[in-house]
Amino acid sequence: MKRFFDFKLAKKTVSLAVLLCVLCTFLAFPYFAYAEEKITKLDQLDGKEIAVQTAVLYEEMLFDRLPKATFQYYTMPNDMIMALKANKVSAYMIEEVSFYVQKANHPDLAKLDEPAGIAEYGIVIGNNEKRETLKKQLDEYIDKANKEKIIEKMYEYWIINYDPDESKTDLSGLTGENGTVRVAIEGGYEPFSYISNGKPCGYDVDFVARFCREYGYKPEFYQVPFESIAPGVEAGKYDMGMNIVISDEREDSAVMSKAYITCPILLIVLGGEKDNLGFFGKMSRSFYKTFIKEGRWKLFVEGTGITTLITVASVFFGTLLGFAVYLICRNGNKIANKITDFFLWLIHGLPTVVFLMILYYIVFGSTKLGGTWVSIVGFTLMFACAMYDMLWVGCNAVGKGQREASRALGYSDSQSFFKIILPQAAKHFLPIYRNEVVTLIKETSVVGYIAVLDLTKISDLVRSRTYEAFFPLMATAIVYFIISGIMTYMVRRVEKTIDPTKRSDERVLKGIKTE
Amino acid sequence: MIELRHLRKEYENAIPLEDINVTINFGDVISVIGPSGTGKSTLLRCINLLEEPTSGDIFLDGECITAKGCDINRVRKKMGMVFQSFNLFGHLTIIENIMNPQITLLGKSKQEAYDKAMELLSTVGLASKALSYPDELSGGQQQRIAIARTLAMDPEIILFDEPTSALDPSMIGEVQSVIRMLAKSGVTMMIVTHEMDFARKISNRVFFMDEGGIYEEGTPKQIFENPTKEKTRKFIYRLSSLRYRIDSQDFDFSTISEEMQGYSEKLLIEMERVSKLQMSLEELCANNLMQMEKNPDIKIKIEYSEKSDILFLFIRYKGEHFDPKDSDNELFLSILGEKTTEITDEIIKESHDEYNNSISMKFKWED
Repeated sequence: MKRFFDFKLAKKTVSLAVLLCVLCTFLAFPYFAYAEEKITKLDQLDGKEIAVQTAVLYEEMLFDRLPKATFQYYTMPNDMIMALKANKVSAYMIEEVSFYVQKANHPDLAKLDEPAGIAEYGIVIGNNEKRETLKKQLDEYIDKANKEKIIEKMYEYWIINYDPDESKTDLSGLTGENGTVRVAIEGGYEPFSYISNGKPCGYDVDFVARFCREYGYKPEFYQVPFESIAPGVEAGKYDMGMNIVISDEREDSAVMSKAYITCPILLIVLGGEKDNLGFFGKMSRSFYKTFIKEGRWKLFVEGTGITTLITVASVFFGTLLGFAVYLICRNGNKIANKITDFFLWLIHGLPTVVFLMILYYIVFGSTKLGGTWVSIVGFTLMFACAMYDMLWVGCNAVGKGQREASRALGYSDSQSFFKIILPQAAKHFLPIYRNEVVTLIKETSVVGYIAVLDLTKISDLVRSRTYEAFFPLMATAIVYFIISGIMTYMVRRVEKTIDPTKRSDERVLKGIKTE
Repeated sequence: MIELRHLRKEYENAIPLEDINVTINFGDVISVIGPSGTGKSTLLRCINLLEEPTSGDIFLDGECITAKGCDINRVRKKMGMVFQSFNLFGHLTIIENIMNPQITLLGKSKQEAYDKAMELLSTVGLASKALSYPDELSGGQQQRIAIARTLAMDPEIILFDEPTSALDPSMIGEVQSVIRMLAKSGVTMMIVTHEMDFARKISNRVFFMDEGGIYEEGTPKQIFENPTKEKTRKFIYRLSSLRYRIDSQDFDFSTISEEMQGYSEKLLIEMERVSKLQMSLEELCANNLMQMEKNPDIKIKIEYSEKSDILFLFIRYKGEHFDPKDSDNELFLSILGEKTTEITDEIIKESHDEYNNSISMKFKWED
């Protein structure tokens, strides 16, 4: 028997890893070297590029003041800092409160004295049977919290005296006698909602906890990108969506609570003092923040687990489903073919993210099916399509003569398919199959859109805590390489094992006396 | 043994088989010949139902195999088929190609199947290739294996669909000799082929197919030596011709010479004879017949018979008669004088059309 561990392959992997490290060092240089350009007045920004977070609508505050400015949209605050440092934008817009946290991590950031405006944040309420009650209870509670200075105290604790290491959210005493509420939070948005020690916390989480304690709910938190919160809530997938800027347009289409926090919006530029740690000092601090602090490596492990689960399950079920559908359609059953063609057309025509969001918010919108399961369903369907196509191509590549010859000998239709056609088709489609598996692994990186904490999403969340891009992104890239390496290796093994022309003569003649 | 009744096969834009009625007896060796596209292969493929007949019935040993409930797979085990493109199973070794159908379909043990396969491999002279894969063998070898695979099933009849058409000329012989050996041992066979000599020597019946059916049937002697019907005759003698009509003074003779070139290359006619014919044609038509009338009307037919090795030139024309011997071209006259050239000059009195003069010339190679 051959050893499963392939020494040659291991050697290859090691040399590849060394190459990657060298590449990383090169990539890291520009990241740790800062560019400079002085901006001190708001009007200087007219005609410049300004970064703003998708779906927060802060840019509307500047339309009149800076008519010639253009806006770039980013999903996470962290990305805006990176963009500013890479000179892709001249400034970015952020809430005053978040700025203090960012400043602690990036001393070279500076704010303009004049704020862009004041934003009010409310809670968008889910489009389901709880809507009326929640709206009433939330408004009631916000009034009460204002009156009893709870909001003021929370602001003091989370914003003015915020300490990333010490501030804690009290999630105790949530009995849930009146049921659960599903709450969508950004999750990468310190100090409002972020993940600390693997648990959600921050101002928003604190507020939700207090509200739920008052009314006897048990909250379930979902980390969702900002731009997906409103659609998810509108689909009734979540009961509450936190930290949504109140605007007239939004109030027309969605049900929103009163403001539970107000905050000045600042413009941030480069120009603070410089970080005087050396290159290696910065690297090791960055490494510590990314992996060691709060045991964040555990998050990476969990994310890897989710990504692997989605990939393996989708490949497995997708292969079975694609095969089953092919068997049904193989002999030209008209109805089956029409239906299959329709689904192929539908699934092939949609970008992965859109397809997943449709499944999550619309098709399974009213069910309690979690994001991970929806992802498995979605990718299973996508892989089944690929499998079906591969089987067509592979089986068509086997000459018509093979089928005719076997049928003429007396093989039945299915005997002919399984004994003659399929073994030969496998040789044609397995190399494509291998590529499809790798493609699938990479495509799973979008599941963060439907609140799945996969590897990419974890890296986003960690980045939003550390405000560092290098280690989270590199770690993520390497893990993806390893996962696809292992999957590819396994498919190759299967390919070799089932290749009939690679059999030894003894195996062909097993159990036969040859005189 | 096999009886076809009113067998008909239609495709969307063609009807290769209109109404076939024929009986194949035990021990028959039947050659099916005819021009391409006349349904020879379709007939064969209908018999083992690889093509579903549009209508009509097929009986095998008295059982109607076109009936609805008939188990086609069981019937096919009794009918072997050998294809033009061999169709050996590419993922299996030679020995498995012959063993596996016996194991899967006849329920034989591995050992029995192996013994039978080895015996057949020796018969076709390829025992040493048992563990090779099909793509490692030459076309002729593959076809011999395909025959062995069919024989391993002990069929009652073997259908050969152009078994040597895809082979190099050098490999045709080895495959034909295997088939000849089978024919001698009394296996019932039906062979679609373009090899006339082979068909003639091996079979006891010949079907000539055309016009959507078996156009003429007979013993090899009847079909190859005395075909009674016109199309058969034309096919057997391989007569095909070039035809032209001259109806104006500015007829372009270069067309004829170009086509003549291709025609002679295709049929391997010597250049010398071709140029003699062209010379005669130009002398007769361009220099004489076309000069005599203001609006000439001349029909020309050029034909070559492979069988009798004669190149023919037929000319029919309207108007006044011209005697070739009156020509003043000495070269032409010397051609006429040669032993290998024959000329007939006639005035047709009761012509059914108005072409009342005819000249026919024969160019032979040797006496």
